[in-house]
Amino acid sequence: MAVAAVHAGGIADHIHPEPQGFVRKYLFSIDHKIIGIQYLITAGVFLVLGGLLAELIRVQLMNANGGFMTPDTYNEVYSVHGSTMVWLVIIPMLTGGFGNFVFPLQIGARDVAFPWLNMLSFWLFPPAGLMLYGSFLMGAPAAGWTEYPPMSLQGQAGTSMWCAAIFLVGVSSTLTGINFLVTLLKMRAPGMTYTRMPLFCWAQFVTAPLLMIATTALGAALAALFIERQFGVPFFDPTKGGSPLLWQHMFWFYSHPAVYIMILPVFGIVSEVFPTFARKPIFGYKMIAFSSCSIAILGFMVWAHHMFTSGMAPFLQLPFMVLTMLIAIPTGIKIFSWVATLWGGKIHFSTAMLFAIGFIATFTLGGITGVFLAAVPFDLHAHGTYFIVAHLHYVLVGGSLMGIFSGIYFWYPKMTGRLMSEKLGKWSFWLFFIGFNGTFLPMHNMGLLGMPRRVAEYDPQFQTLNRIASSFSFVMTIAILLTIINVLYSIKKGKRAGHNPWNARTLEWQIPSPPHYYNFKHIPSVFANPYDFNEPLPYRGLEEELTDSPAPMGAH
Amino acid sequence: MSTPLTHGHDEADQLYIETRELRVQGFLLFMVSDLVLFSSFIFAYLYLRNSGQGWPPAGGPHVDIWLAAMNSVVLFGSGATMHFALENWKHRNFIKFANWMMATIVLGCLFLGGQGVEYVSLYTKDHASWAGSGIFGASFFTLTGMHGFHVFVGVIYLITLLLQATAGKYTFSRYTGLTLGTLYWHFVDVIWVVLFSIFYLL
Ligand code: HEM
Ligand SMILES: [Cu+2]
Repeated sequence: MAVAAVHAGGIADHIHPEPQGFVRKYLFSIDHKIIGIQYLITAGVFLVLGGLLAELIRVQLMNANGGFMTPDTYNEVYSVHGSTMVWLVIIPMLTGGFGNFVFPLQIGARDVAFPWLNMLSFWLFPPAGLMLYGSFLMGAPAAGWTEYPPMSLQGQAGTSMWCAAIFLVGVSSTLTGINFLVTLLKMRAPGMTYTRMPLFCWAQFVTAPLLMIATTALGAALAALFIERQFGVPFFDPTKGGSPLLWQHMFWFYSHPAVYIMILPVFGIVSEVFPTFARKPIFGYKMIAFSSCSIAILGFMVWAHHMFTSGMAPFLQLPFMVLTMLIAIPTGIKIFSWVATLWGGKIHFSTAMLFAIGFIATFTLGGITGVFLAAVPFDLHAHGTYFIVAHLHYVLVGGSLMGIFSGIYFWYPKMTGRLMSEKLGKWSFWLFFIGFNGTFLPMHNMGLLGMPRRVAEYDPQFQTLNRIASSFSFVMTIAILLTIINVLYSIKKGKRAGHNPWNARTLEWQIPSPPHYYNFKHIPSVFANPYDFNEPLPYRGLEEELTDSPAPMGAH
Repeated sequence: MSTPLTHGHDEADQLYIETRELRVQGFLLFMVSDLVLFSSFIFAYLYLRNSGQGWPPAGGPHVDIWLAAMNSVVLFGSGATMHFALENWKHRNFIKFANWMMATIVLGCLFLGGQGVEYVSLYTKDHASWAGSGIFGASFFTLTGMHGFHVFVGVIYLITLLLQATAGKYTFSRYTGLTLGTLYWHFVDVIWVVLFSIFYLL
C-alpha cells in the first residue's frame, strides 16, 4: 500500500492504516465502503425473509376463506413483514448501505467523521433483525407494523421483543444520522461547495437530520410501549388513564418523516442515474436540492394525516390536510426536473436507467393517490382499506425498492469492479415492473370497493382481484430473485468494469473500482458542478489515482 | 488514531486540531437528539395531563415542592461549580480545577440522593408505586428517572474526565473533552429547569 498523502487537505486528509486479517478487514471494519456493503448484504438477507412472508400473505389471500393460516398467524406474518421491509430493508439499504458507500467518495472524503461509531451503528443492526425474527418463537407482534395500542398491549411476548428490536435499529439510525451530518458538514474536499455537491449527497444531507431527530422520537414511543407492557405503567391503556391516541401521535411523528427517510435517498439515486444515462446535465439542480429540504421540513408537520379517522379534533383536520397536499408541490418539482432531464437526451437504456424510469412512473402514481388520501373526505372512505395498501406499496416498492435496484445496478461495478449481467437485469426489470403493477394496481379497486386491510378472510366478491394480485406477486418475486442471482453470479463471472463504465462524472467514478482502502491518493479539489457533460471534468489532483487499480472482487 | 505516515513531528497536534471540530459537532448533534428524546416524553406527559384527568390525578400522590426545590439548588450549584472548574482550567490552575470538579461530582451525587429520598417518600407516604399510580407513574417517574439517569451518567463522565485530566490527557491549550463535559452537565441542568417547571410549578 503506497500512501504518502500529506497535503493541506484538512480533515479530509488523514488516513487509517489498512488493517490486515479477515476479521478487522471485513467483519469489524471501520472502512465506510465495507460497512456500506455489509449493510447491503444484511438487508438483502432480510429482503428475502420479508419477501417470503409477503408470499405467505399472498398465498393466504388466494381464497376468500383463507384456510392456510389461522388469523392469528396471519396477523403475525403481515406485522413482521411490514416491520422487516421498513426497518430492516429499505432504511438500512438506503442510508446505511448506499449512504455509507457512496457519499464519502462523492464528496472526496477518506471516510465518515466517526468510523468507529459507524461500525457500532452497523453492528446494532443484525442483532435487531435476529430479535425481530426471534419473536416468532414467543408469539410475534400481531398488530401491524404500526402496533397500535390497545391491540399491541394485549399482544404476546414477542411484541416487547419487537419494541426492543426496533429501538436498536433506531439507535443505529440516529448514530448514522449524526455521523453523516458531521461528515457532510465538515469533510468535503476543497472546492466541494454546497452547490457543487452531487445530488445524492444532497439527498443524504437532508435525510440525516430526519434520521437523527425523527428516530429518536420513535425511540421514546417504543420505550414507553415497552415499559407499559413489561411493567404495567400506563401510557396508552385508556382503562388506566393512558391514551391510545398518544401512541399514534408519537408513532406518526416519527413514521411520517420516516417515509421520507425511505424516499429522499432514492430521489438522490435517480438524480445520479438520469443525467448519466441521458448524457445531459441534470435539469434544475437547485430546485431538486431545495425541494428536498422543503419536503423534509414539511414532513415533520403532517403526521396527523394518518389520524384523520382516529378521533382527532376536527378543527385540526384542515391544516393537516392542506400541509399534506403542499408536499405534492416540491415532489412535483422534482418529477418535472427529472422528466426535463430525460427530454431530448441521448438515452441509454441500461438496467439502472430502466429501474429509474420505472421509479418515476410508479412513484408518481403513488404520490397522486397520496394526495387523494390527504383529502379528509376521501380518506374517511379509504382509510383502513386496501387503497392504503396500494398507496404505500406504490411509493415504497414502486418508489423506494425500484430506486434501490437502480442503485444496485448503477454502483455494483464501483463496489466490486465487475459489471452485472445486463441481460438478466433487463429480464429482472420487466418482470418486476409487470409483476409489481399486476400485484398492486388491483388493490386500488379492492380498496375502493371496501375490502379492509389486515384481514385473513374476506368477502368472496374480492376473490378474483385477489387471485390476480397473488399471481402477479409471484412474477415480482421471480424478478427480485433474478437480481439477487445476478448480484451473486457477477461477483465472479461479471465482465471487468474498469473504473468508469458509465462515463459518469461524479468523483467516485474517477478512482479505481473497487476503490482503495483510503479512497483517494490525494484529496482532489473541485472547481465546478459534476453534471456538465461535454465539459472537462471539474476536478484537480486526480492524475495519480488510477495508476494501480485493485483487482476486482472474485479475482484470484 | 494517529498514523505512521509522513506527517511531521507535530502530526498528533495536527490531528487534534483537525478532529476537534468533528467531535464538537458530533457531540452537539448527539445532544440535539437527546433533547428530542426528552421532548417526546414531555409531550407525552403534557398530552396525558391534558386528556381530562387533571394533575395530579385524583387521589394520586402529591409531589413535595420543597424537597425538589432544595434539590434544584443543589443541581444548579453544581452547574456553577462546573463552570468554575473549566474557568480554572483555562487559567491553568490544576489544583483549583480539580477541587471544583470534585465539588461538582459531590453535588451531583447529592442530587441523586435527594431524588432517592423523594422516590422513597412518594412510595411510602403516597404508595405511588411506579406501576400502580396511573399516569402519574408513567409521566413523573419516567421523566425524572430519565433525567436522574442522565445525572448518573454525567457523574461517571465527570469522574472519568477528572481522572483523565489528572493523568495528563488534556493540556492547558487542548481540552475539548473538558468543554464537552461541561456542556453536557449544563444541558442536564437546563432539562431540569423544564422538568421542575412542568411537574412542580405548573
Ligand atoms: C405526495 C406525497 C404523499 C402524500 C400526500 C401522502 C399521503 C398519505 C396519507 C394521507 C396517508 C394516510 C392514509 C390513511 O391511513 O388513511 C398515507 C399513508 C401512507 N403513506 Fe403516504 N403520502 C405521500 C407520499 C408517501 C411516500 C413518499 C411514502 C413512502 C415512501 C408514503 C408512505 C405511506 C405509508 C407507508 C402509508 C401507510 C401507513 C399505514 O400503514 O397506515 N407516502 N399517505
Ligand atoms: Cu404520512
